[in-house]
Amino acid sequence: MRPLAVLLLLLALPPALRAQDSVIVIDPDAPAADSLERVGPPPDVVAELIEFYNDSTTTRVQGDVAFPSGSRFDGRLALHRGNLRIAGRVEGPIAVANGTLHLLPGADVRGDILVIGGRLIRAAGARHEGRQRVFWDAAPVVQTEDGLLEIRERRRPIGDLAAARTSFQTGKVRTTLLLGTGGTYNRIEGLPIVFGPTFDLRTGRRSALKLDLRGILRTAGSETKLADFGYQARGEFRLGRFGVAGRVYSELTPIEDHPLSPSEAGWSAFLLQRDYRDYFDRRGYGGLAWVQVTRPLRLELSRRRDDERTVRATDPWSLFRNSDRWRRNPLIDDGHYITTGVQLDLDTRNERYLPSTGWLIRARFEHSSSGDVAPVQLPRLVRPDVPVGRRYAFDRLFFDVRRYSRITPSLRVNARLRADGWVGGDRFPVQRRVSLGGPDLLPGYDFRVSTCAPSGFSDPALLALCDRVVTAQVEIRTRLGLNLGFRTRAGDNRSGRFIGIEEADLVFLADAGKGWLAGDGPGQVPVNRIPSFDEWKVDVGIGLDAGEIGAYIAKGVSDDESVKFLVRLQRRF
Amino acid sequence: MAGFLLHPPGPPPQRVWAFTVIAAALALVAVAAPREAHAQAGNSVRLEVRLTPDSAPRGQRAPVVRSDNLLGDGRWLSTLRSGLPVRLHYRVEIWRSRNGWLDQLTRQVYWDVVVRHEPLLDQYTMLTIFGSRVQERRYATLDALTAALAFAYQINVSPAEAGSYYYTATLEVSTLSDSDLDELERFLEGDLEGARGREGLGDALGRGATRFLLRLAGLPRLRLEARTGRFVVR
Repeated sequence: MRPLAVLLLLLALPPALRAQDSVIVIDPDAPAADSLERVGPPPDVVAELIEFYNDSTTTRVQGDVAFPSGSRFDGRLALHRGNLRIAGRVEGPIAVANGTLHLLPGADVRGDILVIGGRLIRAAGARHEGRQRVFWDAAPVVQTEDGLLEIRERRRPIGDLAAARTSFQTGKVRTTLLLGTGGTYNRIEGLPIVFGPTFDLRTGRRSALKLDLRGILRTAGSETKLADFGYQARGEFRLGRFGVAGRVYSELTPIEDHPLSPSEAGWSAFLLQRDYRDYFDRRGYGGLAWVQVTRPLRLELSRRRDDERTVRATDPWSLFRNSDRWRRNPLIDDGHYITTGVQLDLDTRNERYLPSTGWLIRARFEHSSSGDVAPVQLPRLVRPDVPVGRRYAFDRLFFDVRRYSRITPSLRVNARLRADGWVGGDRFPVQRRVSLGGPDLLPGYDFRVSTCAPSGFSDPALLALCDRVVTAQVEIRTRLGLNLGFRTRAGDNRSGRFIGIEEADLVFLADAGKGWLAGDGPGQVPVNRIPSFDEWKVDVGIGLDAGEIGAYIAKGVSDDESVKFLVRLQRRF
Repeated sequence: MAGFLLHPPGPPPQRVWAFTVIAAALALVAVAAPREAHAQAGNSVRLEVRLTPDSAPRGQRAPVVRSDNLLGDGRWLSTLRSGLPVRLHYRVEIWRSRNGWLDQLTRQVYWDVVVRHEPLLDQYTMLTIFGSRVQERRYATLDALTAALAFAYQINVSPAEAGSYYYTATLEVSTLSDSDLDELERFLEGDLEGARGREGLGDALGRGATRFLLRLAGLPRLRLEARTGRFVVR
């Protein structure tokens, strides 16, 4: 996002005029500055209001009060909360706290008017002699038991809608308590329940400490080889653009982060007993340091030591197809792995969830090694024997480049290039291997249509065995009004809520991808080459995307594939 | 394949597939009204964008964006009083008009206004968010809130190069889910990292479900578009 700052015209104006000013000037090129400005009426004017209201000679009223035409009031008049409608004559000053003052036709007010927390609505034909001050911003006052006003201390905002998350402030420490689901529903843990506190401490204007403690309760059966409880603890310190963090964890980790997002994979498993991910148990610790070079650009350096172990699938409940068997979770190459990584993130998207313009680039290089790996047996074409007598070490490169563009006010073109795989050292362990096919990257093809398994090799887990994958995606979007649903009627014949989907993107999509084994053997691609595009799998499709739900049909055109119908709960990318 | 990939039992012939895609696209285009027309005509909320007066020596003019009557719609007031925050996402784009070719998007600016009702205080909080700068104001009456929501925004983004230009303005009004609100709270607390970074534990299932349910539950959602006439920078 381009740095924005604002020059509020109202800030340059005298306080009494701020509330009435109705033009805000935004200067996007002004220097960026993180700030939270709480605007309200000037404290001295609020104090004046309270003094006026609490004065024993003031007549205090509340709610909706009217002085009809022909009436007359002499003295000091104050209203708290409500509407004060004057059509008669008032001889004396008026103060209104968090209410609206209406001067109706025929009104004749001779005295100063002070309104804080409301408007002065003055009809033609109303007369006023005296000073007039109006502040739309609410007066921070509260009424005491004896009917007087006093300053209300501003409470800190909290996420009061989150039923399972609440925050409170104790001194300088902000504590957030969380009770929620952890990541996704899956065939290993069932529905993991996550609970624990987060402590935030602002140590300075530009620095902060944070401690995040999470316990994970696993609800699936005990035959998974996974402990009933997991945990994650993370402490971090941020100073301006720099930060360091340390982690300790015992968590379930997916082998690949596609073909569905965590939430979609969870819903698929919960509803349809289809778990599109494979997992392993990871326990360890690590640290990372990062620098936010500019607002969109971040660099990160990390090192961690993991104990990675195979876990078995269990049989958690699903809404449909509950009698089916879950796909087996694969065996992995158990062992202790030390991984050093460097990561670059560039995010210039205008929005995080529904971007229409900008870049999102993530690139990561990792070097991993292990001195005690216990490898599973793989075909020699996939991986030669794991070395004995020296450390088993390998390098991995991942990048994901996304471009969002609007080429006309109503037409958008989005493109993505993603690659992941081995780049050096010994060949990957099972838990780093990759595959292709499925709703995310190649929706016109079946899940794991390309696993790189040699002919004759069969595995019920549909094991991902490729060294490398690369995919390219492009889509064209245009907005349509659909009105798929109905509109309720409000009580006074006005149209009410619309139940259903009012609008959606019409999406035309095309994808291409290839997964392969690197090497000089039969069916392999030389390590310094990318397969020719003729060998890639290509699909095309069309869909409707309403943002939170989308429906697509897609078909692979480079093979004799059947048409696939997909439902997505978020944008494709 | 099962699960999220549901397909008929047998592969249809290639021609049938192509025909299906084309027919579906044509049908959708035919039944779907243009979004802008639907939004402006079907709702009482209005969005306007106009140009500042032509007083600059080179003809540069800035856009002034204003929405009106948001609370007159009734749905949004009901939403606020139901405890759900309402988010107004404004976006202004500068388009360069190119005869005989696609117009070119040269720049865009966006900002947010988040309104929520605090029932214990019976007040409305309005957060205006420009990039990393946030302004919070509170209003005790609907009159004051209505007037504040009708503020006009003048964006100083006049194009520099010579050419023919126009501005488009988009206003998306929606409710905030609890996850969004939590993210906003973190942002307000200065935790830009947490607010912008990776999806947190506990959010993954909840975010998708909440957004989906909010969308289908009939909670209001609105998108308006408006554009200015062309002007020439010399």
